[in-house]
Amino acid sequence: MHIARTGSAVLLALLSVLVLNACGPRAEQSGDLDVTILSVSPDPAAVGDAVIILQVRDADGNPVEGATIEVEGTMTHAGMQPVIVETEALGEGKYATQDFRFTMGGDWVIIVRATLAEGSTAERRVDLKGVQGEMKMDMKSDQDKEGN
Amino acid sequence: MAVLRAQQTKQRDLLDVPVVGRFLRWKHARTSLQAVLLVVSALILYDGFWGPQLAPKNLAGVLPWVHWRGFVVLALLIAGNIFCMACPFMLPRRLAKKLLPANRPWPKFIRNKWLAIGVLLIFFWAYEAFDLWASPWLTAWVVLTYFVAAFAIDGIFKGAAFCKYVCPIGQFHFVHGMVSPLEVKVRQPDICGSCPTKDCIKGRYAQRPEQDILRSSRETIPTQEASSPKASGWTAKSHPHPDPLPQGGGGESTSVQGFGTRFSDGDSDNEADRTRHSGESRNPDERDQIGQSEVRHLLRHSRESAPRHGARNPSSSEFQPQSGMPDIPRSSPQPARDVSTPAGLQLVQTGCELWLFQERKVGNMDCTFCLDCIQACPYDNVGIQLRAPTSEFRKLDQWHSGVGALTQRTDLAALVIVLVFAAFVNAFGMVPPVYALEQWLATQLGVTSEPVVLGVLFIVGLVALPFVLVTAAAWSSRALVGSSESLAATATRFSFALIPIGFGMWLAHYGFHFLIGALTAVPVTQSFLSDFGVPLLGEPRWDLAAIVPDSWLVPLELVLLELGMLVSLTVGYRISRRQQSSVARAIRALLPWAVIIVLMFFTGAWMMTQPMEMRGIILG
Repeated sequence: MHIARTGSAVLLALLSVLVLNACGPRAEQSGDLDVTILSVSPDPAAVGDAVIILQVRDADGNPVEGATIEVEGTMTHAGMQPVIVETEALGEGKYATQDFRFTMGGDWVIIVRATLAEGSTAERRVDLKGVQGEMKMDMKSDQDKEGN
Repeated sequence: MAVLRAQQTKQRDLLDVPVVGRFLRWKHARTSLQAVLLVVSALILYDGFWGPQLAPKNLAGVLPWVHWRGFVVLALLIAGNIFCMACPFMLPRRLAKKLLPANRPWPKFIRNKWLAIGVLLIFFWAYEAFDLWASPWLTAWVVLTYFVAAFAIDGIFKGAAFCKYVCPIGQFHFVHGMVSPLEVKVRQPDICGSCPTKDCIKGRYAQRPEQDILRSSRETIPTQEASSPKASGWTAKSHPHPDPLPQGGGGESTSVQGFGTRFSDGDSDNEADRTRHSGESRNPDERDQIGQSEVRHLLRHSRESAPRHGARNPSSSEFQPQSGMPDIPRSSPQPARDVSTPAGLQLVQTGCELWLFQERKVGNMDCTFCLDCIQACPYDNVGIQLRAPTSEFRKLDQWHSGVGALTQRTDLAALVIVLVFAAFVNAFGMVPPVYALEQWLATQLGVTSEPVVLGVLFIVGLVALPFVLVTAAAWSSRALVGSSESLAATATRFSFALIPIGFGMWLAHYGFHFLIGALTAVPVTQSFLSDFGVPLLGEPRWDLAAIVPDSWLVPLELVLLELGMLVSLTVGYRISRRQQSSVARAIRALLPWAVIIVLMFFTGAWMMTQPMEMRGIILG
């Protein structure tokens, strides 16, 4: 009985804390970067190979040069393997993804992770909604593996 | 005893499997499983409220919508209602039973599945309207709401009202558990026929510790309810046993001293029994008294059945099968006496709180696999037995303890239909044609609110369309064989044949998500732990996701759906054949339902071959 009452108190306390604190999500992006998707090719975005060109600026609005930019594409629905690629600098704070693929139609989130020249890091997220599906699942990756 | 064991071993029983069986017999087996899921739920709540609000990066986005749903359907397919057994929401529920009165009867007018159907409809709509799958925060709120609802409802009402009448997840399990290969059931019916105590439903009582007795002697035992049979529902938990039952067998018969019970209910025992045994149609209120009536009889029977059973070693003379109806006695030579629980006794093992009396329990409907009956049975006469997955459909007309005859339960049929059609509507939400339909509908209605448009779609897809199709099929079925059965009766009877095709669709859909995302739990967990400074196996492995090649998915989904169709057709034929005098008539009666089943198959197959999209906001 003692254990039951102790357990009860702990559970109630846990629920109380959750209820009292469940007032909203925490902030989850870091760094003072402004990331804009300038273009997605093909346009409109569709399942398959794609190139995303990003504009990265610092807090003062200046183009960020010489950064190492990693782009992760993931879907708003859990359970899908994200696509993580490097980018190529195009100058003037613009970066283009390399070997990026949309593997399924739907709403995507582009996560940009930047390691700036001085070593600081930043992460921004940009929504990319409505990527068009072409087939049930993108089979190319499997075929490529088989071909290789 | 050796003979009994030999007879028992003819049945394949999960409890006889080494390790697994021993674990399931352990008194705290269920609690330990629930504790594991409670910890997982706590992590989901924490990450959902305070973690990154991107579903693929959050435990609340991954575990419920990818893993839990996948495990649920797979468990139902290969075993049974495992997830009700391990349900973490039952821990606050048990807490509520200790802390709160839990003495009100569940309102009669909702002692059926209609409330649960309403909750299910709201949930399916909210899932799409608010993109629950994409919002860890909202997912956490859903989980929290579940905990609070289970706590509150079962803290107020008697028995397992939340599980039986409210929980939408439970209803999903109950319905699809009908095709599961495992069933909690009696091993030797003869033993139950002679059992004088019926612990499986009444629970088991033991002497309280001396200090508790002293304390309780200062308390007033409530007798008001006992004095008024119509006072406030009923209870089975006040059935006292004067002697604690040994766990390990042996022991001798013991006379009952001071054996008593208190219960109350608002209707006549005889009326309820007459209705039950005559098999005539009954209204929902009458049906709701099924379990109550049974328990009342059991309690009476117990009083007159001294000496008590010999624990786990009853003599052979105690196992004379009762003549006539293999049921509890219809009448008792003594009127029920309302006696308050004598001091000095305490409940040590609850019986079935969903009012499923093992002796008359049929199938998995309303069974949470809580194993209380297994723990309570002093004869070790309840097992988790293997069965043919479709065997339950042969017993639709048979009386199910605590449920009634399924073919007389319109509310159950409605629940089945909603779940079957929801399987398709839910999957339809992931293919592009739904977006075109939403846009068209929004234009026609002149609205831009997606929840409103989805509300209309769900009303059409889960209520109007099923109603029209089922009514048309029932009408055609009757017309084809010239049946005089009522339209509702025909519709109810054949609705159960749709369960396998619906389950096939759920399996295909949830199985898809699970197979392509099973390993995503690894990096998400790594990420979660790393936020607390506990790096596990290095950097999160975001490249981990699928456990089968993508190219397997469509064929696998089609196989599952096809199996569902074939089983549905088979079950439908059996249902029809039981009613019809010839094979030809059975086929004619089945024909309209077969058309619906085949149409469902092609609809599901068409969806699976559509380009798949996971989109949230469509309009605007």
